[in-house]
This record gives sequence, structure tokens and C-alpha cells, in this order.
Amino acid sequence: MGTFFRRRLPSLKPAVILLAFILIGAAALMISSGDAQAAPQAQQPDNSQCLTCHQQEGKTLELSDGESLSIVISPAMFGGSVHTKLACQTCHTNIAEFPHPENSATSISEYRQQYENTCANCHPNQVSETADSAHAKIRNDPNNPNAKNTPTCIDCHNPHTQSEIQKDKNGKLTGLEHAAATRTCAKCHNQIAEEYAQSVHGEGVLVDNNPDVPSCIDCHGVHTISGPTGSGNQFRLSSPQICAKCHTDESIMGKYGLSTQVLNTYIADFHGTTVTLFEKMDPDQQTNMPVCFDCHGVHNIKRVDDPSKGIQIKENLLVTCQKCHPGATPNFPDSWLSHYIPSQNRAPLVFYVEWFYKILIPLALGGMGLLVASDIFRKATRRKSKPKTAEVEEKSNQEGGSAK
Amino acid sequence: MSEQPKTYNRFNIAQRFEHFVLILSFTTLALTGIPQKFAQAGVSEAIIALLGGITAVRIIHRVAATIFVLEAIYHAFLIGYKLIVMRIEPTMLPGIKDGKNVIDYFLHNIGVKKEAPKMPRYNFAEKMEYWFMLWGLIIMALTGFMLWNPIATTRILPGVFIPTAKVAHGWEAVLAVAAIILWHFYNVHLKHWNWSMIKGHLSREEMEEEHSEELEKIEKGDFRPLPPAQVMRKRSQIFVPIASVISLALVLLLFRFITFEQTAIETIPPVEENVEVFLPQTPTPLPPGAATPTPAPVSTAATTWDAGIGDLFISKCGSCHGSLGGLSLKTYADAIKGGKNGAVILPGNASGSPLISLQDSGNHPGLFSAAELEIITNWIIAGAPEK
Repeated sequence: MGTFFRRRLPSLKPAVILLAFILIGAAALMISSGDAQAAPQAQQPDNSQCLTCHQQEGKTLELSDGESLSIVISPAMFGGSVHTKLACQTCHTNIAEFPHPENSATSISEYRQQYENTCANCHPNQVSETADSAHAKIRNDPNNPNAKNTPTCIDCHNPHTQSEIQKDKNGKLTGLEHAAATRTCAKCHNQIAEEYAQSVHGEGVLVDNNPDVPSCIDCHGVHTISGPTGSGNQFRLSSPQICAKCHTDESIMGKYGLSTQVLNTYIADFHGTTVTLFEKMDPDQQTNMPVCFDCHGVHNIKRVDDPSKGIQIKENLLVTCQKCHPGATPNFPDSWLSHYIPSQNRAPLVFYVEWFYKILIPLALGGMGLLVASDIFRKATRRKSKPKTAEVEEKSNQEGGSAK
Repeated sequence: MSEQPKTYNRFNIAQRFEHFVLILSFTTLALTGIPQKFAQAGVSEAIIALLGGITAVRIIHRVAATIFVLEAIYHAFLIGYKLIVMRIEPTMLPGIKDGKNVIDYFLHNIGVKKEAPKMPRYNFAEKMEYWFMLWGLIIMALTGFMLWNPIATTRILPGVFIPTAKVAHGWEAVLAVAAIILWHFYNVHLKHWNWSMIKGHLSREEMEEEHSEELEKIEKGDFRPLPPAQVMRKRSQIFVPIASVISLALVLLLFRFITFEQTAIETIPPVEENVEVFLPQTPTPLPPGAATPTPAPVSTAATTWDAGIGDLFISKCGSCHGSLGGLSLKTYADAIKGGKNGAVILPGNASGSPLISLQDSGNHPGLFSAAELEIITNWIIAGAPEK
């Protein structure tokens, strides 16, 4: 057998090479058309055929609930999108000819949901991530009046205009993407977005397009978006970790001269200790202990030196304290060390009392330890050098014990 | 005293009970307090979880603290009675002799001095504990009050006293617990088990080692005698009412202290700002469709291709039929010729013309209005003239 193969092999060589080329070519074709798996390319009508009608301004699909859905595709926008190389029918699998088949959707929301699985064909991870999101939970709750307002993939990523998401070499979203994400959320969460736009983060994202500054998705997640209220008290209790992600990162905070001690000073204090313990032990229990956003604001976070809201200004901090401690007087805010570690300049009283104990404790314990050690030494040496005495001692001890 | 009893009474039952209360409250305070100071340590978390969470731990801590202070008030009353009414010797007062005893004890232990120091009823080790305890009690009660009632405290004192109190309370606790473990446990439990706080008495040998001065006194019968009963009664008639009032005032004060503020311990739902979560932006109105084809040039008078029918076809159909392949409707000749499936306009036969039947069915992206369709139909019936 072996000799047969060896002898036959040379003559097979060209065929093997040819086969390899065919396979590589086929693989390359499959890879290049990897996204377009819904329908064979050959059968699809040319996109320009669809666009002849669909580029005309004003075309709408009238739905039975009275909504009209624009079905206009701008060739320029689509040409710039990440999907430009896909045939229309890759996604619109049911539309191959004119007249188009009847669509059963009664509302825009329903119409869009028809395409959820379509996205999953190429983006399965992202789609499955959304399955547990706050939006999905509301959509699947028949009693929620906002069920039909929840976004599907295409509400955030218009498939006909979505350009490629821009990231830097570390995989971090660019500043422009941060701003774009914020505008996307603003479509439905406008009040929050407007508050955010006024905040120190909002300015950084929307005005400066600074990639270091968080947009909505940095705190709330992208596809896994979890609601702050839907998860019991979990979001509240774990929220300090969200802020800490950036605010303990020296490589980011260093640029802006911000302290990275904010988390450990918070945890070391009464409020933070409690929140940390609650998070670990009773994540569902309500607690009135403040987390970062109770003092600094939720979406309207201001610089700490902002004259009207900044809590570095004592009057503003007092107002903040009074939210939970209504009886707080002007002295009260100083009982919080504002994330500073006590030093000779900052809270010197705390600093010196700490020093006092740093000296007293070793001194007192050292003194006691010395006396204890000397006593042990005496007992040990006596037992060694004068075993007799030790025996007597032991004996007398026993006698003493039995006498009681 | 000629006969030598085998045991020597040290603490009566009331004193032993006090000690028992102290053990309970101190241990509870330590068990619930130290884990709060080192809350991030794994052991602390385990203890806190075991006791039912941080809220429960804080409540237990405060209850134990209250018992501790109550015991202190009781103790003060009792000591007052003993010192003022009974005029017993203040044996717990430290003196220079205690200092000497410490040095002699140390020197004796390391073998420099042969003789062990002779020690009184309360030796230096016990005095140290007692006064450390008193110092601790004052520090812990003061700082504890500040931490329990931060708002009341900062009405009078600067805010920085609260974190200062926290530091002092925590480290004082560490010192107290460490001292108890190192000093008390060694001297009373490890060195040899001292039964005096349980059984009330010590053996002669124990007395010799730890209280030889007192032993000598006992043997000599050298006691300070109790005052005559009459004098005592007189004194106590003054002392008891005054001390009772003071004690009662202290208890009331304590009650006031522990019920002063609630924000520190109550757990209320957080107040959060109410924002409208779903508040969509005003949707951009859909672009107002392509301008409706101007029907102006087409009138019922248009009866030939050149007189308007051609313009109607070009404006309504020209964007496809004429720019793409297949049927072109741009010129009269093309329109009559038809597409790849043949003619669409059969002059004279409107109902047979595919163009009309397709428009009638509605299955076409572009549709004529009813009026336009009528004009086209009439034009075909009229033979679809060019001119």
C-alpha cells in the first residue's frame, strides 16, 4: 500500500495543487461574502434597482395604527455606512420583487422587531447581550405602557446609515463615538440627556469630544444596559465601582489633576463602609447611605468647584448633607473629610489624634509585653535551673486549686 | 488572726456580678466594634454576616454600650458609698509604691533582684487595668456619643471632631482589646487560672505571689475598722439621696444620649430625583414627499402625445422607464414599441393594453391618479395619436 501511494503520488500532485487552489478560492469567497448568508448573491436584485424607488423623498409605509414609517434610503448615506457592501435582500430577505409582499406589522415598533433576528445573523453576540437588558425587559412586559417604545437594534444603529464604530488602538471608543452614543440615547431619554449635557461629563463629551469622559454607555453599559431601578438595590450599591473605574485610574485622573483616593477614602468612611457591606451581604436591602451620585449628582454632575452646585463649596455641601440629615448645621459638613486623607494641613486634629494612638498603642502594649515576657522568662528559667522549686510551685498550685 | 484560712475572700457576689456584666458588654462591644473598624477584612465580614449584617451589628454595639455605661454608673454609685459612707481604704488608688513594684517585679523576673515585690490588695497589674478601663470608658463614651449623634455634636463643636472621634474610638478599642488579651488574659488566665472573679477567693499561695503585702496585713489583723453604725447611717442618709439623684440624672442623660438622633441608625429609602426616563425628542417630521407632479399642463384637452400625454408619461414614469433598461416611455416611438415583453399600449384598445391593466391592478411602484388614468385611457381609445 505504502509503495503504491508513494509511486502514485507524483502524478497526483497537479490535481492536489489544483484542488487546494479551488478550496482556498472558495474559502476566500465565503469569507468575503460571509455576511451575506441570507440569500445567494446571484438571486438578489441589484441594490440600484431598489434604490430607484427608495431614494425618492417622501416614501412612507403606512401602518395600520396610523404611524408612517419612512422607507427612504439615501444612497449617499447608505454608501457611507458599514453595510454598504450588503445587498438589500441580505436583510430584507422577503423582498425580492415588486410588488413587495404584504407586511403584517401594525406599528413601527412591530415592524422593527421583525428584524431583530436579522441582525443576529451577523451580530449574534450583541443581540444576545441585549436579551437581558432593561429595554428587553420592558418590551417583554405586557403591562408596561412603554413596551412599544423600547428600542431594538436598529433604533440605535440605523442599519442604512450606521458607520463603522471608531476605536483607538487600545480598543477605546473615540471622543466622537462617545458623543454619538449620547445623542443616540437622547432620542428617547431627552430630559436626562439635557441634564447630562450641562454636566462636567456632558461638556467633556459633547463639546470637547474627549474620549476620557464617560458618555451614557460607559456607566450604563452598551448592549447589556441595566436599569438603575430594575435590579433592586444592586445598581445603587455597586454604583461606586462604576465611578471608580475611571476615578481610581491614575492614567486618566492624572491628566486633570484629580485625586484617585476618592474610592478608598469613601469606603473608609461610615457611608462607604456601610454601602460596601450592604453590597456584599444584603444587595437587595434598601439603605439610606449615600453613594457617589447622591452627593455629586446623577446625570447633572458638576465640577466640585462649580459656584452653584459644586460641593467643594461648603454652603453647597451643607445643602447636600441636609438631604439626609435635615438637622445638619453649618459645622456638620466638615465631619466629612471630602475624600482627603488627614494630614498636618488637612484635618490636623484627626491627624494628630491618629499619631497619638500610633505612639500610645505600641508604648502601652510594649510595656505590658515586656513585663509579660519577663514573667515568662522567670518561670522558664526557674523551671530549668531549679526544677525543685518549680515542682514545689506546681504542687502548691495544685493544693491551692484543690482547696477551693 | 491565729488560724490561717486556706482561702482568702476577694470579691463578694455583687462585685463578681459586675465583672460578669463587664465581660458580657465588653466582649460584645469588641466583637461588634473591631469588625466595624476593620470592615474590609475577610474575618470582619464573616463576623458581621454571622451577626446579621451591619445594621444589626450597629444596634448590638449600641445596646452593649448602653449596658456598659449603666454598669459604670452603678459602679460609681457603689464606689461612692464605699469611700464616703464606709470610708474604706481607697486600695485602687495608684501610688509611687506601685511604680516601684513594677520595677522590682521586672528586676526580680529577669533575675537581678532576689526578692519578689510585696504587693497590696490591688497590685500594679490590677490597678493598671482598672485605670486603663476608666480612661477607656471616658474616651469611648465621649467619642461614642459624638459618633452616635454627629448632628448634635456639630451644633457645638467643629465638624472635624466627628472623624477625630472615629479615629480615637477605633484605636482606643484596639488598645483596649489588645491590652485585655495581652495583659489580662496572661495575668489572670495563662499564668495560672485565677478563680477569684468566679469563686470569689484566692488560695494562700496565690495571695503570697500577688498580694503578699495584703496577706501580711490580714494575718496581722491590720484593718481599717468600719465606722460606728450610727455614723454610717448618718452619712448614708446624706449620701444615698444625693448619689441616687446623681445616678438617676446620669441614667436619664444616658437615655437622652441614646435616643437623641435617629438619622445615624434608621434606614430609610433613598430620596432620588424624579426624572422622566422616557421623554423622546420631538421626532423629526418626515420629509414632505416629492413634490406632487404638477398636473397643470395635462388637461382633458390633452389628446395627443405632443399635447401633454408625453409630458405626463415622462414626469410620472420617466425616472425608471427610460433611465433603466426595459420599457422606455420617454419618446412616442419607444412607448408604442413597448418593453421586452411586448407592447404595453394597444392603440384603440384601452382595456387590452397591459399598461392600463397594470395600473388598474395597483401593483406598480408608480401609479397614475384616477384623473390621469382617465386621460390616458381616452387617449388610447382615441388611437393613441402622436400629434
